[in-house]
Amino acid sequence: MLETIAYAAAILAVVVGTLFSIVGIIGLVRLPDVYTRLHAAGKVSTFGVALLAVAAVLAVPYAWSRGLLLIVLVLLAGPVVSHVIGSVAYRTGVPMRGAVRDDLAGRISPASRDAVRAMHEQEQV
Amino acid sequence: MLAYARLVLICLLLFLALTENVELSNIVLGALIGILVAVILKPAPESLSIRRLPVALFNLARYTAWLAVDIIRNGIRVARIVLDPKLPIRPGILAIKSDMKTELGIALNAHAITVTPGEQVVEIGEDGTLYTHCLDVVASAAGAEAAQRTRRRLMEGIFE
Repeated sequence: MLETIAYAAAILAVVVGTLFSIVGIIGLVRLPDVYTRLHAAGKVSTFGVALLAVAAVLAVPYAWSRGLLLIVLVLLAGPVVSHVIGSVAYRTGVPMRGAVRDDLAGRISPASRDAVRAMHEQEQV
Repeated sequence: MLAYARLVLICLLLFLALTENVELSNIVLGALIGILVAVILKPAPESLSIRRLPVALFNLARYTAWLAVDIIRNGIRVARIVLDPKLPIRPGILAIKSDMKTELGIALNAHAITVTPGEQVVEIGEDGTLYTHCLDVVASAAGAEAAQRTRRRLMEGIFE
């Protein structure tokens, strides 16, 4: 009985996780610039990967502690990565398309912006 | 000493979770690795009382539950925006004041904002202001203050 419930929950998690992954990929294609696309990509990692790991934990009797650890690490590391990508994009001057509001405009110190830009140019050479 | 013991314990638990083997030899091996890590890292001594641990853990669980609800709610909101044929986004960067005192608090606060779909911290100011890029900046600005107050209240329960 309990096994059946766990299995049904696992199937539900797989379906929902896959649906959110598909929506995330659609967003990645449809959204206009790097910042908005990061939101869509981040959704694949939080919902897609985490829910698939939940399904694995529920459906497979062993390796559940590793699965839980994977969920925690994905949820901890994913936001850090997208923060870094967004931060570097802003510092290298990637424009926001259709921005309604920008509280950060003119607040990046020129020194740090130039440092990131110099690094960027060096990589391109 | 307490900081060392805590680090060793965390390493041991992580090791046991990874190896999934609770034989005595494995526990000893995990403890040895934990001690090695603690000796290398030299954690700074800090005041933490064991008596506060249950309260802190309870508050951590409450915070996690609130975060999960927030993630799901915002996930559905973002999914609706993405699937809408008109793509009704109003992107922009919003300054959210973080009143956390410690660096760890600011980092956790930024993480909590970034992990919810549709909002993402792009830059952290010197004074701990979180410059957050939002998919729908108008809606986020309307709810930002209340959400930040809830986050802060829940996080203070963990640290203090």
